[in-house]
Amino acid sequence: MTRFPRAFIAVMVFLLSGIFLNPLTLRAVEQGEYIAIRKQGAGKIAIVLDRLSAKGSKEAGWAGNVDSVIKDGLAFSDLFSILSPPSNIRTDGKSKDINFGALSSVGSEFYAGGRISKKSGNVNLDMEVYDTYGTKLLMKKSYTGTEGDLRSMGHAFCADLIELLTGKKSYFGSKIVFVSSKSGHKEIYQCDFDGQGVQQLTNFRSISLTPVLSPDGRYLAYTSYTSGRPTLYIKNLADNTIASVVKNGVSVDPGWRNASEVATTLSFEGDQEIYLVRADGSITKRITNSRGIDVSPTFSPDGSRMAFVSSRNGLPQIFIQNVQSGAVKRLTFSGRYNTQPSWSPDGDKIAYTTWEKSGEINIFVINADGSGLKRLTSGARENESPSWSPDGSMIVFASNRQGGKRLYVMGSNGQNQRRLLQVDGEQMQPSWSLFR
Amino acid sequence: MRSVKPLLRSIFIPGLLLLGACCCEKDVVVAPVVPPPPPPPPPQVELGDIFFDYDKSELRAEAVQQLQKNFDWMNQNPGGTLIIEGHCDERGTNEYNMALGERRANAAKDYMVNIGADAGKMQTVSYGEERPFALGHDEAAWQQNRRAHFVGQGQ
Repeated sequence: MTRFPRAFIAVMVFLLSGIFLNPLTLRAVEQGEYIAIRKQGAGKIAIVLDRLSAKGSKEAGWAGNVDSVIKDGLAFSDLFSILSPPSNIRTDGKSKDINFGALSSVGSEFYAGGRISKKSGNVNLDMEVYDTYGTKLLMKKSYTGTEGDLRSMGHAFCADLIELLTGKKSYFGSKIVFVSSKSGHKEIYQCDFDGQGVQQLTNFRSISLTPVLSPDGRYLAYTSYTSGRPTLYIKNLADNTIASVVKNGVSVDPGWRNASEVATTLSFEGDQEIYLVRADGSITKRITNSRGIDVSPTFSPDGSRMAFVSSRNGLPQIFIQNVQSGAVKRLTFSGRYNTQPSWSPDGDKIAYTTWEKSGEINIFVINADGSGLKRLTSGARENESPSWSPDGSMIVFASNRQGGKRLYVMGSNGQNQRRLLQVDGEQMQPSWSLFR
Repeated sequence: MRSVKPLLRSIFIPGLLLLGACCCEKDVVVAPVVPPPPPPPPPQVELGDIFFDYDKSELRAEAVQQLQKNFDWMNQNPGGTLIIEGHCDERGTNEYNMALGERRANAAKDYMVNIGADAGKMQTVSYGEERPFALGHDEAAWQQNRRAHFVGQGQ
Protein backbone atom coordinates (compact mmCIF):
# COMPACT_ATOMS: atom_id res chain seq x y z
CA MET A 1 0.00 0.00 0.00
CA THR A 2 1.25 3.46 -0.82
CA ARG A 3 2.02 5.67 2.06
CA PHE A 4 1.55 9.36 1.44
CA PRO A 5 3.89 11.81 3.13
CA ARG A 6 2.04 14.22 5.29
CA ALA A 7 3.36 17.04 3.17
CA PHE A 8 0.77 16.03 0.59
CA ILE A 9 -2.04 16.91 2.88
CA ALA A 10 -2.70 20.55 3.39
CA VAL A 11 -4.90 21.09 6.36
CA MET A 12 -7.13 24.12 6.53
CA VAL A 13 -9.24 25.18 9.42
CA PHE A 14 -12.89 25.89 9.03
CA LEU A 15 -15.82 26.12 11.31
CA LEU A 16 -17.87 23.17 10.18
CA SER A 17 -21.26 24.48 11.13
CA GLY A 18 -21.69 26.76 8.13
CA ILE A 19 -20.24 24.38 5.60
CA PHE A 20 -22.29 21.21 5.65
CA LEU A 21 -25.47 21.95 3.81
CA ASN A 22 -27.27 18.68 3.90
CA PRO A 23 -29.23 18.25 0.67
CA LEU A 24 -31.49 15.59 2.13
CA THR A 25 -34.30 15.96 4.57
CA LEU A 26 -32.21 14.15 7.12
CA ARG A 27 -31.47 15.83 10.40
CA ALA A 28 -27.77 15.96 10.95
CA VAL A 29 -25.60 17.18 13.77
CA GLU A 30 -21.89 17.52 13.45
CA GLN A 31 -18.90 18.48 15.49
CA GLY A 32 -15.27 18.95 14.65
CA GLU A 33 -12.97 21.61 13.39
CA TYR A 34 -10.84 20.45 10.45
CA ILE A 35 -11.18 20.02 6.75
CA ALA A 36 -8.25 18.41 5.02
CA ILE A 37 -7.84 19.48 1.42
CA ARG A 38 -5.73 17.26 -0.72
CA LYS A 39 -3.27 18.55 -3.14
CA GLN A 40 -4.55 18.44 -6.73
CA GLY A 41 -3.20 15.51 -8.65
CA ALA A 42 -2.31 13.49 -5.59
CA GLY A 43 -3.00 9.75 -5.72
CA LYS A 44 -5.99 8.01 -4.27
CA ILE A 45 -6.90 8.68 -0.67
CA ALA A 46 -6.09 5.64 1.48
CA ILE A 47 -8.88 5.15 3.96
CA VAL A 48 -9.80 2.40 6.38
CA LEU A 49 -13.56 1.95 6.31
CA ASP A 50 -14.55 0.25 9.53
CA ARG A 51 -17.71 -1.83 9.80
CA LEU A 52 -20.52 -0.02 11.59
CA SER A 53 -21.20 -1.25 15.06
CA ALA A 54 -24.76 -2.08 16.02
CA LYS A 55 -26.65 -3.64 18.91
CA GLY A 56 -29.54 -5.95 18.09
CA SER A 57 -30.23 -7.99 14.99
CA LYS A 58 -32.35 -5.35 13.25
CA GLU A 59 -29.65 -2.76 13.75
CA ALA A 60 -27.02 -5.23 12.52
CA GLY A 61 -29.03 -5.64 9.32
CA TRP A 62 -29.13 -1.87 8.83
CA ALA A 63 -25.42 -1.68 9.56
CA GLY A 64 -24.61 -4.24 6.86
CA ASN A 65 -26.80 -2.35 4.42
CA VAL A 66 -25.25 1.06 5.14
CA ASP A 67 -21.74 -0.46 5.17
CA SER A 68 -22.14 -1.50 1.55
CA VAL A 69 -23.85 1.76 0.54
CA ILE A 70 -20.89 3.74 1.89
CA LYS A 71 -18.32 1.39 0.45
CA ASP A 72 -19.96 1.37 -3.01
CA GLY A 73 -20.46 5.14 -2.88
CA LEU A 74 -16.81 5.83 -2.09
CA ALA A 75 -15.65 3.27 -4.64
CA PHE A 76 -17.82 4.94 -7.31
CA SER A 77 -16.05 8.26 -6.74
CA ASP A 78 -12.76 6.61 -7.69
CA LEU A 79 -11.06 8.92 -5.18
CA PHE A 80 -10.27 6.31 -2.57
CA SER A 81 -8.17 3.32 -1.98
CA ILE A 82 -10.42 1.53 0.50
CA LEU A 83 -8.52 -0.60 3.00
CA SER A 84 -9.95 -3.34 5.19
CA PRO A 85 -9.64 -2.62 8.88
CA PRO A 86 -6.64 -4.43 10.40
CA SER A 87 -7.57 -7.12 12.91
CA ASN A 88 -5.96 -5.20 15.77
CA ILE A 89 -7.90 -2.01 15.05
CA ARG A 90 -9.13 -1.77 18.64
CA THR A 91 -6.44 -1.24 21.23
CA ASP A 92 -7.85 -3.91 23.50
CA GLY A 93 -9.92 -5.84 21.03
CA LYS A 94 -13.32 -4.50 22.04
CA SER A 95 -13.14 -0.99 23.41
CA LYS A 96 -13.96 2.12 21.44
CA ASP A 97 -10.36 3.23 21.34
CA ILE A 98 -8.91 3.07 17.85
CA ASN A 99 -5.40 1.67 17.42
CA PHE A 100 -3.96 4.41 15.22
CA GLY A 101 -0.59 2.68 15.10
CA ALA A 102 -2.22 -0.30 13.41
CA LEU A 103 -3.98 1.99 10.93
CA SER A 104 -0.75 3.73 9.99
CA SER A 105 0.99 0.44 9.52
CA VAL A 106 -1.50 -0.61 6.81
CA GLY A 107 -0.90 2.69 5.03
CA SER A 108 -4.15 4.37 5.94
CA GLU A 109 -4.33 8.14 5.92
CA PHE A 110 -7.87 8.34 7.22
CA TYR A 111 -10.23 6.25 9.25
CA ALA A 112 -14.02 6.32 8.99
CA GLY A 113 -16.31 4.36 11.24
CA GLY A 114 -19.42 4.65 13.29
CA ARG A 115 -22.45 3.21 14.90
CA ILE A 116 -26.05 2.64 13.89
CA SER A 117 -28.86 2.64 16.40
CA LYS A 118 -32.59 3.02 16.83
CA LYS A 119 -33.65 6.29 18.36
CA SER A 120 -37.32 7.10 18.97
CA GLY A 121 -38.48 5.05 15.98
CA ASN A 122 -35.85 6.47 13.64
CA VAL A 123 -32.51 5.17 12.46
CA ASN A 124 -29.51 7.02 13.82
CA LEU A 125 -26.13 6.89 12.09
CA ASP A 126 -23.20 8.37 14.04
CA MET A 127 -20.06 8.71 11.99
CA GLU A 128 -16.52 9.74 12.84
CA VAL A 129 -13.58 10.48 10.57
CA TYR A 130 -9.99 10.59 11.84
CA ASP A 131 -6.69 11.64 10.41
CA THR A 132 -4.72 8.54 11.30
CA TYR A 133 -1.31 10.18 11.47
CA GLY A 134 -2.36 12.99 13.71
CA THR A 135 -4.90 10.78 15.44
CA LYS A 136 -7.12 13.79 15.07
CA LEU A 137 -10.92 13.75 14.87
CA LEU A 138 -11.73 15.54 11.61
CA MET A 139 -15.47 15.08 11.55
CA LYS A 140 -18.18 13.76 13.77
CA LYS A 141 -21.66 13.81 12.38
CA SER A 142 -25.02 12.19 13.02
CA TYR A 143 -27.57 11.31 10.35
CA THR A 144 -31.17 10.52 11.18
CA GLY A 145 -33.82 9.06 8.95
CA THR A 146 -36.36 6.30 8.56
CA GLU A 147 -35.61 2.70 7.68
CA GLY A 148 -36.28 3.63 4.04
CA ASP A 149 -33.58 6.31 4.13
CA LEU A 150 -30.60 4.01 4.73
CA ARG A 151 -29.24 4.53 1.23
CA SER A 152 -29.57 8.31 1.30
CA MET A 153 -28.08 8.43 4.82
CA GLY A 154 -25.03 6.46 3.67
CA HIS A 155 -24.71 8.73 0.65
CA ALA A 156 -25.04 11.86 2.78
CA PHE A 157 -22.04 10.63 4.74
CA CYS A 158 -20.11 9.89 1.51
CA ALA A 159 -20.85 13.42 0.26
CA ASP A 160 -19.69 14.94 3.57
CA LEU A 161 -16.54 12.82 3.62
CA ILE A 162 -15.60 13.78 0.05
CA GLU A 163 -16.26 17.44 0.73
CA LEU A 164 -14.19 17.17 3.91
CA LEU A 165 -11.23 15.65 2.11
CA THR A 166 -11.39 17.42 -1.26
CA GLY A 167 -13.16 20.66 -0.44
CA LYS A 168 -15.65 20.02 -3.26
CA LYS A 169 -19.32 19.27 -3.09
CA SER A 170 -20.09 15.87 -4.53
CA TYR A 171 -22.99 14.34 -6.49
CA PHE A 172 -24.60 11.76 -4.23
CA GLY A 173 -28.04 13.34 -4.58
CA SER A 174 -27.80 13.80 -8.35
CA LYS A 175 -29.82 12.07 -11.08
CA ILE A 176 -29.04 10.98 -14.61
CA VAL A 177 -31.81 11.12 -17.23
CA PHE A 178 -31.45 9.10 -20.42
CA VAL A 179 -33.27 7.46 -23.34
CA SER A 180 -33.89 3.73 -23.41
CA SER A 181 -35.51 1.47 -25.99
CA LYS A 182 -36.18 -1.17 -23.33
CA SER A 183 -39.97 -1.10 -23.91
CA GLY A 184 -39.61 -1.20 -27.70
CA HIS A 185 -40.08 2.57 -27.95
CA LYS A 186 -37.60 5.25 -27.09
CA GLU A 187 -38.77 6.52 -23.71
CA ILE A 188 -37.12 8.71 -21.07
CA TYR A 189 -35.82 7.24 -17.82
CA GLN A 190 -33.85 8.44 -14.84
CA CYS A 191 -31.54 6.81 -12.35
CA ASP A 192 -29.37 7.82 -9.40
CA PHE A 193 -25.77 8.93 -9.95
CA ASP A 194 -24.61 5.31 -9.62
CA GLY A 195 -27.15 3.74 -11.97
CA GLN A 196 -29.41 2.53 -9.13
CA GLY A 197 -33.12 3.29 -8.81
CA VAL A 198 -34.01 3.25 -12.51
CA GLN A 199 -37.39 4.89 -13.13
CA GLN A 200 -39.34 5.27 -16.38
CA LEU A 201 -40.46 8.90 -16.80
CA THR A 202 -42.42 8.75 -20.08
CA ASN A 203 -44.74 6.20 -21.63
CA PHE A 204 -45.70 7.80 -24.93
CA ARG A 205 -45.02 4.82 -27.24
CA SER A 206 -43.59 7.35 -29.66
CA ILE A 207 -39.99 8.55 -30.02
CA SER A 208 -38.76 10.62 -27.08
CA LEU A 209 -35.25 12.04 -27.12
CA THR A 210 -32.60 14.30 -25.54
CA PRO A 211 -33.89 14.66 -21.96
CA VAL A 212 -32.26 17.27 -19.73
CA LEU A 213 -33.18 18.34 -16.19
CA SER A 214 -33.28 22.01 -15.22
CA PRO A 215 -30.49 23.08 -12.80
CA ASP A 216 -32.89 23.00 -9.83
CA GLY A 217 -34.50 19.73 -10.91
CA ARG A 218 -37.97 21.26 -11.22
CA TYR A 219 -38.33 20.72 -14.94
CA LEU A 220 -37.49 18.06 -17.47
CA ALA A 221 -37.03 19.28 -21.04
CA TYR A 222 -37.10 16.75 -23.89
CA THR A 223 -38.03 16.32 -27.54
CA SER A 224 -40.81 13.96 -28.51
CA TYR A 225 -42.78 12.91 -31.61
CA THR A 226 -46.10 12.57 -29.79
CA SER A 227 -47.61 15.26 -32.03
CA GLY A 228 -46.18 13.66 -35.19
CA ARG A 229 -43.08 15.83 -35.43
CA PRO A 230 -40.21 16.52 -33.04
CA THR A 231 -41.43 19.08 -30.51
CA LEU A 232 -39.86 20.52 -27.35
CA TYR A 233 -41.74 19.68 -24.17
CA ILE A 234 -41.02 21.06 -20.71
CA LYS A 235 -42.47 18.97 -17.90
CA ASN A 236 -42.96 20.37 -14.42
CA LEU A 237 -41.95 17.40 -12.29
CA ALA A 238 -43.83 18.67 -9.22
CA ASP A 239 -47.31 18.78 -10.75
CA ASN A 240 -46.67 16.83 -14.00
CA THR A 241 -47.98 19.64 -16.21
CA ILE A 242 -46.34 19.82 -19.63
CA ALA A 243 -45.65 22.93 -21.70
CA SER A 244 -44.61 22.78 -25.34
CA VAL A 245 -43.29 25.09 -28.01
CA VAL A 246 -46.11 25.49 -30.48
CA LYS A 247 -44.28 26.38 -33.68
CA ASN A 248 -43.88 24.82 -37.10
CA GLY A 249 -40.77 22.86 -37.94
CA VAL A 250 -38.57 20.77 -35.72
CA SER A 251 -37.25 21.25 -32.23
CA VAL A 252 -33.91 19.60 -31.49
CA ASP A 253 -31.78 18.96 -28.38
CA PRO A 254 -32.58 21.38 -25.53
CA GLY A 255 -30.01 22.69 -23.02
CA TRP A 256 -30.79 24.75 -19.89
CA ARG A 257 -29.19 28.17 -19.52
CA ASN A 258 -30.49 28.67 -15.96
CA ALA A 259 -33.39 27.50 -13.81
CA SER A 260 -35.98 29.25 -15.96
CA GLU A 261 -34.64 29.33 -19.52
CA VAL A 262 -33.87 26.47 -21.88
CA ALA A 263 -32.28 26.85 -25.30
CA THR A 264 -33.26 24.69 -28.25
CA THR A 265 -33.10 24.61 -32.03
CA LEU A 266 -36.29 25.67 -33.80
CA SER A 267 -36.92 26.11 -37.53
CA PHE A 268 -40.22 28.00 -37.68
CA GLU A 269 -38.48 30.99 -39.30
CA GLY A 270 -37.08 28.81 -42.07
CA ASP A 271 -33.49 28.15 -41.12
CA GLN A 272 -32.54 26.18 -38.02
CA GLU A 273 -31.56 28.58 -35.24
CA ILE A 274 -31.14 28.39 -31.47
CA TYR A 275 -33.71 30.18 -29.32
CA LEU A 276 -34.21 30.71 -25.61
CA VAL A 277 -37.52 29.39 -24.31
CA ARG A 278 -39.17 29.93 -20.91
CA ALA A 279 -40.46 27.02 -18.86
CA ASP A 280 -43.99 27.84 -20.05
CA GLY A 281 -42.96 27.26 -23.68
CA SER A 282 -42.87 30.93 -24.73
CA ILE A 283 -39.88 32.14 -26.71
CA THR A 284 -37.74 34.87 -25.15
CA LYS A 285 -34.95 35.37 -27.63
CA ARG A 286 -33.29 34.13 -30.78
CA ILE A 287 -29.58 33.55 -30.15
CA THR A 288 -28.02 32.40 -33.44
CA ASN A 289 -28.34 33.91 -36.87
CA SER A 290 -26.47 31.96 -39.51
CA ARG A 291 -27.29 29.86 -42.52
CA GLY A 292 -27.00 26.15 -41.85
CA ILE A 293 -27.51 23.87 -38.91
CA ASP A 294 -27.19 25.31 -35.39
CA VAL A 295 -27.86 22.72 -32.68
CA SER A 296 -27.01 21.34 -29.24
CA PRO A 297 -26.65 24.41 -26.99
CA THR A 298 -24.76 24.05 -23.68
CA PHE A 299 -23.95 26.93 -21.34
CA SER A 300 -21.08 28.13 -19.18
CA PRO A 301 -21.92 27.86 -15.45
CA ASP A 302 -22.83 31.57 -15.30
CA GLY A 303 -25.00 31.33 -18.44
CA SER A 304 -23.09 34.09 -20.24
CA ARG A 305 -21.60 31.90 -23.00
CA MET A 306 -23.09 29.13 -25.12
CA ALA A 307 -21.21 26.35 -26.88
CA PHE A 308 -23.11 24.78 -29.79
CA VAL A 309 -22.72 22.88 -33.05
CA SER A 310 -22.91 24.72 -36.35
CA SER A 311 -22.48 23.73 -39.98
CA ARG A 312 -21.99 27.38 -41.03
CA ASN A 313 -18.54 26.51 -42.35
CA GLY A 314 -19.60 23.23 -43.97
CA LEU A 315 -19.12 20.22 -41.76
CA PRO A 316 -20.24 20.44 -38.12
CA GLN A 317 -17.90 22.19 -35.69
CA ILE A 318 -18.29 23.59 -32.19
CA PHE A 319 -18.56 27.34 -31.67
CA ILE A 320 -18.86 29.54 -28.60
CA GLN A 321 -21.15 32.54 -28.60
CA ASN A 322 -21.47 35.29 -26.05
CA VAL A 323 -25.21 35.35 -25.36
CA GLN A 324 -25.37 39.10 -24.69
CA SER A 325 -23.06 40.47 -27.37
CA GLY A 326 -23.64 37.76 -29.97
CA ALA A 327 -19.88 37.50 -30.64
CA VAL A 328 -19.04 34.04 -31.99
CA LYS A 329 -15.75 32.17 -32.21
CA ARG A 330 -15.00 28.73 -33.51
CA LEU A 331 -13.74 26.37 -30.78
CA THR A 332 -12.78 23.16 -32.60
CA PHE A 333 -10.35 22.95 -35.50
CA SER A 334 -9.19 19.37 -35.18
CA GLY A 335 -11.47 16.73 -36.70
CA ARG A 336 -14.03 17.08 -39.48
CA TYR A 337 -17.16 16.26 -37.53
CA ASN A 338 -17.41 17.63 -33.99
CA THR A 339 -20.75 17.57 -32.20
CA GLN A 340 -22.45 17.07 -28.79
CA PRO A 341 -20.71 19.70 -26.66
CA SER A 342 -21.21 19.62 -22.88
CA TRP A 343 -19.90 22.50 -20.74
CA SER A 344 -18.47 21.42 -17.40
CA PRO A 345 -20.39 22.82 -14.42
CA ASP A 346 -17.02 23.09 -12.70
CA GLY A 347 -15.37 25.59 -15.02
CA ASP A 348 -14.12 26.25 -18.48
CA LYS A 349 -13.89 22.77 -19.96
CA ILE A 350 -16.08 21.48 -22.76
CA ALA A 351 -16.48 17.79 -23.57
CA TYR A 352 -17.61 16.87 -27.09
CA THR A 353 -17.44 14.05 -29.62
CA THR A 354 -15.42 13.69 -32.80
CA TRP A 355 -16.42 11.29 -35.54
CA GLU A 356 -12.98 10.19 -36.62
CA LYS A 357 -11.62 8.91 -39.93
CA SER A 358 -11.30 5.44 -38.41
CA GLY A 359 -15.09 5.38 -38.02
CA GLU A 360 -14.83 5.62 -34.24
CA ILE A 361 -16.65 8.34 -32.38
CA ASN A 362 -14.55 9.54 -29.46
CA ILE A 363 -14.99 11.91 -26.56
CA PHE A 364 -12.59 14.84 -26.24
CA VAL A 365 -12.19 17.62 -23.70
CA ILE A 366 -11.03 21.12 -24.60
CA ASN A 367 -10.74 24.35 -22.64
CA ALA A 368 -13.18 27.09 -23.58
CA ASP A 369 -10.24 29.12 -24.93
CA GLY A 370 -9.35 26.30 -27.34
CA SER A 371 -6.30 25.06 -25.41
CA GLY A 372 -5.72 21.73 -23.69
CA LEU A 373 -7.35 19.39 -26.21
CA LYS A 374 -7.40 15.84 -24.83
CA ARG A 375 -8.92 12.59 -26.11
CA LEU A 376 -10.72 10.62 -23.39
CA THR A 377 -11.84 7.50 -25.28
CA SER A 378 -10.21 5.46 -28.03
CA GLY A 379 -10.23 2.01 -29.54
CA ALA A 380 -13.77 1.34 -28.32
CA ARG A 381 -16.11 1.99 -31.27
CA GLU A 382 -18.63 4.81 -30.78
CA ASN A 383 -18.62 6.92 -27.62
CA GLU A 384 -21.25 9.62 -27.59
CA SER A 385 -23.27 12.17 -25.64
CA PRO A 386 -20.83 13.13 -22.85
CA SER A 387 -22.39 14.84 -19.83
CA TRP A 388 -20.54 16.02 -16.71
CA SER A 389 -21.31 15.15 -13.12
CA PRO A 390 -22.39 18.23 -11.15
CA ASP A 391 -18.96 18.50 -9.50
CA GLY A 392 -17.12 18.10 -12.82
CA SER A 393 -15.22 15.06 -11.59
CA MET A 394 -16.88 12.50 -13.87
CA ILE A 395 -18.50 12.13 -17.28
CA VAL A 396 -21.40 9.86 -18.22
CA PHE A 397 -21.63 8.80 -21.88
CA ALA A 398 -23.15 6.24 -24.25
CA SER A 399 -21.01 3.63 -25.99
CA ASN A 400 -21.56 0.56 -28.13
CA ARG A 401 -18.15 -0.88 -27.15
CA GLN A 402 -19.80 -4.07 -25.90
CA GLY A 403 -22.50 -4.40 -28.58
CA GLY A 404 -25.64 -2.29 -28.18
CA LYS A 405 -25.52 1.25 -26.89
CA ARG A 406 -25.17 1.39 -23.09
CA LEU A 407 -24.30 4.01 -20.50
CA TYR A 408 -20.79 4.29 -19.06
CA VAL A 409 -19.01 6.62 -16.68
CA MET A 410 -15.41 7.74 -16.48
CA GLY A 411 -13.28 10.22 -14.58
CA SER A 412 -12.88 13.69 -16.07
CA ASN A 413 -9.50 12.64 -17.50
CA GLY A 414 -10.93 9.49 -19.06
CA GLN A 415 -9.77 7.19 -16.29
CA ASN A 416 -11.64 4.14 -15.00
CA GLN A 417 -14.27 3.75 -17.76
CA ARG A 418 -16.97 1.36 -16.65
CA ARG A 419 -20.58 0.40 -17.30
CA LEU A 420 -23.12 2.42 -15.34
CA LEU A 421 -26.27 0.34 -15.31
CA GLN A 422 -27.83 -2.94 -16.35
CA VAL A 423 -31.08 -2.35 -18.21
CA ASP A 424 -32.55 -4.26 -21.16
CA GLY A 425 -32.55 -2.65 -24.59
CA GLU A 426 -30.30 0.19 -25.66
CA GLN A 427 -29.55 3.25 -23.54
CA MET A 428 -28.41 6.59 -24.94
CA GLN A 429 -28.32 10.38 -24.59
CA PRO A 430 -27.54 10.50 -20.85
CA SER A 431 -27.66 13.87 -19.11
CA TRP A 432 -26.39 14.33 -15.55
CA SER A 433 -28.32 16.76 -13.35
CA LEU A 434 -26.68 19.95 -12.10
CA PHE A 435 -28.23 19.47 -8.66
CA ARG A 436 -26.18 17.27 -6.40
CA MET B 1 -82.32 -4.75 -131.48
CA ARG B 2 -85.71 -6.22 -130.34
CA SER B 3 -83.86 -9.04 -128.77
CA VAL B 4 -81.70 -6.54 -126.77
CA LYS B 5 -84.59 -4.51 -125.25
CA PRO B 6 -85.89 -7.15 -122.88
CA LEU B 7 -82.34 -7.77 -121.81
CA LEU B 8 -81.83 -4.08 -121.06
CA ARG B 9 -85.18 -3.99 -119.32
CA SER B 10 -84.22 -6.91 -117.21
CA ILE B 11 -80.98 -5.20 -116.23
CA PHE B 12 -82.65 -1.81 -115.78
CA ILE B 13 -85.02 -2.89 -113.07
CA PRO B 14 -82.53 -4.66 -110.85
CA GLY B 15 -80.19 -1.80 -111.60
CA LEU B 16 -82.76 0.66 -110.34
CA LEU B 17 -83.38 -1.45 -107.33
CA LEU B 18 -79.70 -1.64 -106.69
CA LEU B 19 -79.34 2.06 -107.09
CA GLY B 20 -82.26 2.62 -104.76
CA ALA B 21 -80.82 0.27 -102.29
CA CYS B 22 -77.56 2.11 -102.45
CA CYS B 23 -79.27 5.44 -101.93
CA CYS B 24 -81.35 3.90 -99.25
CA GLU B 25 -78.27 2.64 -97.49
CA LYS B 26 -76.65 6.04 -97.57
CA ASP B 27 -79.61 7.65 -95.91
CA VAL B 28 -80.32 5.13 -93.17
CA VAL B 29 -77.01 3.86 -91.87
CA VAL B 30 -75.83 7.19 -90.37
CA ALA B 31 -76.76 6.52 -86.76
CA PRO B 32 -74.63 3.54 -85.59
CA VAL B 33 -71.20 5.18 -86.14
CA VAL B 34 -68.50 3.05 -84.54
CA PRO B 35 -67.31 5.15 -81.53
CA PRO B 36 -63.67 6.14 -81.86
CA PRO B 37 -61.41 4.41 -79.28
CA PRO B 38 -61.10 6.69 -76.20
CA PRO B 39 -57.71 8.33 -75.80
CA PRO B 40 -55.54 6.21 -73.42
CA PRO B 41 -55.70 7.61 -69.80
CA PRO B 42 -52.48 9.27 -68.66
CA PRO B 43 -50.45 6.71 -66.70
CA GLN B 44 -50.99 6.99 -62.92
CA VAL B 45 -47.86 8.62 -61.52
CA GLU B 46 -46.35 6.91 -58.51
CA LEU B 47 -44.68 8.85 -55.71
CA GLY B 48 -41.00 8.06 -55.29
CA ASP B 49 -38.32 8.82 -52.71
CA ILE B 50 -35.14 10.76 -53.36
CA PHE B 51 -31.66 10.08 -52.04
CA PHE B 52 -28.82 12.25 -50.80
CA ASP B 53 -25.06 12.28 -50.56
CA TYR B 54 -23.31 11.90 -47.20
CA ASP B 55 -23.93 14.89 -44.90
CA LYS B 56 -25.68 16.72 -47.74
CA SER B 57 -29.13 18.14 -48.23
CA GLU B 58 -28.50 19.32 -51.81
CA LEU B 59 -30.59 17.65 -54.53
CA ARG B 60 -28.95 15.28 -56.99
CA ALA B 61 -29.91 15.35 -60.73
CA GLU B 62 -31.97 12.16 -60.47
CA ALA B 63 -33.67 13.53 -57.37
CA VAL B 64 -34.84 16.52 -59.39
CA GLN B 65 -36.40 14.15 -61.97
CA GLN B 66 -38.20 12.26 -59.24
CA LEU B 67 -39.46 15.48 -57.69
CA GLN B 68 -40.97 16.41 -61.07
CA LYS B 69 -42.85 13.09 -60.98
CA ASN B 70 -43.98 13.73 -57.44
CA PHE B 71 -45.23 17.14 -58.59
CA ASP B 72 -47.15 15.36 -61.39
CA TRP B 73 -48.71 13.17 -58.71
CA MET B 74 -49.93 16.28 -56.95
CA ASN B 75 -51.46 17.54 -60.17
CA GLN B 76 -53.19 14.21 -60.74
CA ASN B 77 -54.42 14.16 -57.16
CA PRO B 78 -55.57 17.71 -56.57
CA GLY B 79 -57.20 16.70 -53.30
CA GLY B 80 -54.10 14.91 -52.09
CA THR B 81 -51.50 16.05 -49.60
CA LEU B 82 -47.90 15.01 -49.04
CA ILE B 83 -45.86 14.31 -45.97
CA ILE B 84 -42.16 14.55 -46.74
CA GLU B 85 -39.99 12.71 -44.21
CA GLY B 86 -36.29 13.53 -43.96
CA HIS B 87 -34.04 10.61 -43.01
CA CYS B 88 -30.33 10.09 -42.33
CA ASP B 89 -28.03 7.13 -42.07
CA GLU B 90 -26.94 5.89 -38.67
CA ARG B 91 -23.49 7.46 -38.84
CA GLY B 92 -22.76 10.74 -37.15
CA THR B 93 -24.64 11.83 -34.07
CA ASN B 94 -28.40 11.81 -33.49
CA GLU B 95 -29.00 15.47 -32.73
CA TYR B 96 -27.11 16.74 -35.76
CA ASN B 97 -28.85 14.16 -37.95
CA MET B 98 -32.21 15.38 -36.69
CA ALA B 99 -31.34 18.79 -38.09
CA LEU B 100 -29.88 17.33 -41.29
CA GLY B 101 -33.03 15.25 -41.87
CA GLU B 102 -35.15 18.37 -41.70
CA ARG B 103 -32.94 20.09 -44.26
CA ARG B 104 -33.38 17.15 -46.65
CA ALA B 105 -37.16 17.23 -46.32
CA ASN B 106 -37.17 21.00 -46.77
CA ALA B 107 -34.90 20.83 -49.82
CA ALA B 108 -37.42 18.51 -51.48
CA LYS B 109 -40.37 20.67 -50.51
CA ASP B 110 -38.69 23.91 -51.60
CA TYR B 111 -37.92 22.49 -55.04
CA MET B 112 -41.50 21.37 -55.52
CA VAL B 113 -42.82 24.77 -54.48
CA ASN B 114 -40.47 26.35 -57.02
CA ILE B 115 -41.92 24.27 -59.85
CA GLY B 116 -45.42 25.18 -58.83
CA ALA B 117 -46.57 22.86 -56.06
CA ASP B 118 -48.84 24.22 -53.37
CA ALA B 119 -46.75 24.57 -50.19
CA GLY B 120 -49.92 24.29 -48.14
CA LYS B 121 -50.37 20.70 -49.29
CA MET B 122 -46.96 19.53 -48.10
CA GLN B 123 -45.74 18.89 -44.58
CA THR B 124 -42.18 18.02 -43.62
CA VAL B 125 -40.94 16.01 -40.68
CA SER B 126 -37.43 14.92 -39.77
CA TYR B 127 -36.74 11.49 -38.36
CA GLY B 128 -32.99 11.95 -38.25
CA GLU B 129 -31.54 8.46 -37.87
CA GLU B 130 -34.49 7.21 -35.81
CA ARG B 131 -36.39 5.30 -38.53
CA PRO B 132 -33.91 3.67 -40.93
CA PHE B 133 -35.27 1.88 -44.02
CA ALA B 134 -32.35 -0.51 -44.41
CA LEU B 135 -30.95 -2.05 -41.26
CA GLY B 136 -27.44 -2.92 -42.42
CA HIS B 137 -24.28 -1.18 -41.32
CA ASP B 138 -22.62 -0.63 -44.70
CA GLU B 139 -22.72 1.92 -47.50
CA ALA B 140 -25.49 -0.02 -49.30
CA ALA B 141 -27.74 0.42 -46.29
CA TRP B 142 -26.59 3.94 -45.50
CA GLN B 143 -27.34 5.06 -49.07
CA GLN B 144 -30.90 3.73 -48.68
CA ASN B 145 -31.33 5.67 -45.48
CA ARG B 146 -30.18 9.10 -46.68
CA ARG B 147 -33.53 9.95 -48.19
CA ALA B 148 -36.61 12.07 -48.36
CA HIS B 149 -39.59 9.73 -48.18
CA PHE B 150 -42.91 10.81 -49.69
CA VAL B 151 -46.19 9.75 -48.15
CA GLY B 152 -49.26 10.71 -50.19
CA GLN B 153 -52.69 11.04 -48.62
CA GLY B 154 -56.04 11.50 -50.39
CA GLN B 155 -56.60 12.03 -54.13
